[in-house]
Amino acid sequence: MTIIETKGLKYSYPDRTVAVRDINIKIEKGKKIAFVGQNGSGKSTLFLLLNGTLKPETGEVLFHGKPLKYDSKSLREIRKSVGLVFQNSDDQLFAPTVYQDVAFGPANLDYPREKVEACVNRALECVGLSHLRDRPPHHLSGGQKKRVAIAGVMAMEPEVIVLDEPLSNLDPVGADDIMDLLNEFNHFGSTIIISTHDVDLAYRWSDYVYLMSNSELIGEGVPEELFRQTELLKLAGLRQPSSLEVYHELERRGLACGYQSPKTLPELVNALRPPELMWVDAPPGIREGDTLNLGILYGEYSPNSPYEAVNAKVLHIHPEGKAIVELKRRSIKAGGILLYDTDSYSYPEILHLIEEGDITFVGAMGKKSKTLAEEDGIFLDVTTGVIDKSILTALCGKRCMILTGGGMVEHAFKRIREYVEMSGIELNVGVFNKEEGLPWIEAFEDSVEVFRT
Amino acid sequence: MTSILDDYALMSPLRSRNNWLKLMIVAFGLLAGVSATSPIPPLFIALCMSLATLLLGKIPLSFYLKLLAAPLGFAVMGVLIIAFFSGSGAELYSFNLVGYSLAIRADGAELASLVLSRSVSGMCCLYFLALSTPMIELFSVLKATRLPDSLLELSMLIYRYIFVFLDMALCIKFAQTVRLGYGDFKKSFHSFGMLTGTLFIRSWEQGEKLFISMNSRCYDGKMMLFEARKPVKAPEVLLTSMYFLSTIALLYLTRGVSVI
Repeated sequence: MTIIETKGLKYSYPDRTVAVRDINIKIEKGKKIAFVGQNGSGKSTLFLLLNGTLKPETGEVLFHGKPLKYDSKSLREIRKSVGLVFQNSDDQLFAPTVYQDVAFGPANLDYPREKVEACVNRALECVGLSHLRDRPPHHLSGGQKKRVAIAGVMAMEPEVIVLDEPLSNLDPVGADDIMDLLNEFNHFGSTIIISTHDVDLAYRWSDYVYLMSNSELIGEGVPEELFRQTELLKLAGLRQPSSLEVYHELERRGLACGYQSPKTLPELVNALRPPELMWVDAPPGIREGDTLNLGILYGEYSPNSPYEAVNAKVLHIHPEGKAIVELKRRSIKAGGILLYDTDSYSYPEILHLIEEGDITFVGAMGKKSKTLAEEDGIFLDVTTGVIDKSILTALCGKRCMILTGGGMVEHAFKRIREYVEMSGIELNVGVFNKEEGLPWIEAFEDSVEVFRT
Repeated sequence: MTSILDDYALMSPLRSRNNWLKLMIVAFGLLAGVSATSPIPPLFIALCMSLATLLLGKIPLSFYLKLLAAPLGFAVMGVLIIAFFSGSGAELYSFNLVGYSLAIRADGAELASLVLSRSVSGMCCLYFLALSTPMIELFSVLKATRLPDSLLELSMLIYRYIFVFLDMALCIKFAQTVRLGYGDFKKSFHSFGMLTGTLFIRSWEQGEKLFISMNSRCYDGKMMLFEARKPVKAPEVLLTSMYFLSTIALLYLTRGVSVI
C-alpha cells in the first residue's frame, strides 16, 4: 500500500536557487527507505516538503492517495502522521526537561492528561531513557539526545518517521543503538525514511533506496541492484558500499561465486569459493608442500585475462603416482599503469596516449589535475582512491593512466613499485612527461612478465 | 563544560522534595533573619541552612565555602564601614590615621554585628534554595503563581537555549584561542566582537529552526508543565516544624539582647 506519494515536486528557495525539482516518489507502507546523496543534494528540503512545512511550487504531495492541503487543520493531521526528526538534536529539544520535551507533541494534540502521560512513558521506555526523564537535555550525551528526539516523535504515534541524517555525530555504538531502535519501530509497523550519505548504511539497512544528486532524483531501486550501478553512484558523488567493493574484487579473481550482493560480512564469507583442487600426475621426486608448475592456461580456462599461468601447491601425494594440488592462477598479462605528469599538460598528447597505449581506465589525483581533465572533458573513471583502484584494474590485465602533478607523481610511482615488490606481480609502471621519466610505450611492447610465485 | 549552580541543584537529593516546602523554609528564614533584633537568631538560621545544604543536599564543603566567600567579602567591607562611622556610646577601640581619630563605638559594633549576621543568614537561605531547587522545578512554581503562560513558555525556551548557546560560545572561543585570537589586547577585542556577532546570527538561525521543529510537532500554543507530585512526608514536617519553633523561641528570648 502506498502511504506517501509525490508528483512532480519542485521547490526553490527565496533567492531562486532550486532546492528540489521533479521529484516523483512512491513510499510503501512498512518499508525502510533511504535517501542517499551528498550534502546539499536536497534531501532535507524534500523532508520538509513531506510533512507540509514547505509548500511546493509545483506538483503535489499525496498522503494515503489524497493530495495534501495547506490549511492548519490538514497540516496538523499530516504532522501527526509524518514525524520528523531533525539532524541536529539541539534544534528539536527545546523543553527544559526530557519528560516535557517528549510530552510536547501529545500535549499539543490535545490528548487528555492521562493519555499524554501514557504516551510519554511508552515512548521513553521504547528508547530506554525512562531513568533520565527529569534531566535537562544539556546533561545528556549526543546519542541520548538523539534518542530523546526520536521519543518526542514516537510519542505522537506517527505512521511514518522521517529522520534527517540520524547517525551524524554519533559514535559507532550510539549509531548501532539508533539503528536497532529504528528496526524495532519498523518491525512494529512504522514506515521509516532516513537520509544519509553513508552508502554502507543505506546498502545494509534499507529495503528501497532513492539516489539524489543536485536537487534531483537520479536513481531508485532495491539496494542490491542500485548499488551495482557504479556509473550512477559516481554521478551522485558517492562510492560503492565497501562490502560490495570487496566482493567485486574477489569475484573478479574467481575467489567468490558470481552475481550476488552480500550485505554483511557473513554473507560475504558465504560467497567465497573454496580453493580449486585438482588431481594431477605426480612427477617423480616431488614432495608435499612443493610448488608445481602446470604451465599456461588460455582460452576459456582463464576467465580473467587472455593467458593465465598456473602454479599449484602439492597438498597430498597418492600412492599410485597421483597428487592433489591447490591451484594458484595468475593472469600472465598483467596490465600497466602510466603516470602522466600534469605539470606540463597537453590535451592532444593525452588523447594520443590513450589511443596508442590502449588505455581503458583513467584516473586523476589532486584537485588541479581533476580540474584540467574536467575542462577538457576527459572521462575520469576514478577520482578517489586512485592508486589502489588503478592497481586493482591493472591486475586484471587492463592499462591505466593516472593524471597527477607535482610531488604526487613520485609518491604514486613509489606506491606502485612497492606493491610490485611485495606481491611479485610484474606490473608495467611508467612515468610520462617527466624529464627523467621512462618512455613508457616502448616498455609496454607486449613484454611477457616474469611469473613468480 | 563549566559546572554551574544549576548543575549542583539537579544532582542534589533535596531536588526530589516538595518545592513549596523548600520555598516556605527559605521565606521563613529570610523574614525571621531580617526581623531579628539580636545577631543570635540569624546566626542560628545560617547554621541550620548550611547544615541542611551540606548534609541533606550533599553539596561539597569546599564548593559551598567558595560560594559563600564572594558575597561575604562584600558584606565584611560594608560592615567595617558601618562599625567605624556610625553609632555613639562607649569607645571600644580607636586608632589614629594621619591625624584623624577612628573609633568603633558600642552602638556601631552592635549594628555591624546585626547587619553581618542578617546578611549571612540571608545568603545561606538563598544558597539553600539555589542548591536544592533547579530552575526546571521552579517553572511549575511560577506557573502556580499565575504568571502569564507566554512569559513562562518564553522563559522555559530561554532557559534551554542558554545552555545551547553557552556551549556554542565556548566552542567558538576555543576555536579562536587555538588560532591565537586572544594573543594580545587588540586581537582579543576583535575576536570577542566576532564571537558576539556570530552568536547573534546563530541565535537568529536557531530561532527559525526552533519554529520549524515546534511546528512539525503540531505546536498549538501549549508547553506542558508537569509538577511531579511530591507529597510532604512526616519526617520533613517534623524537622521543619522543629526548626521553625526553635527559631521563633530564639527570636523571642533574644529580644534586644546585645552581644557586645
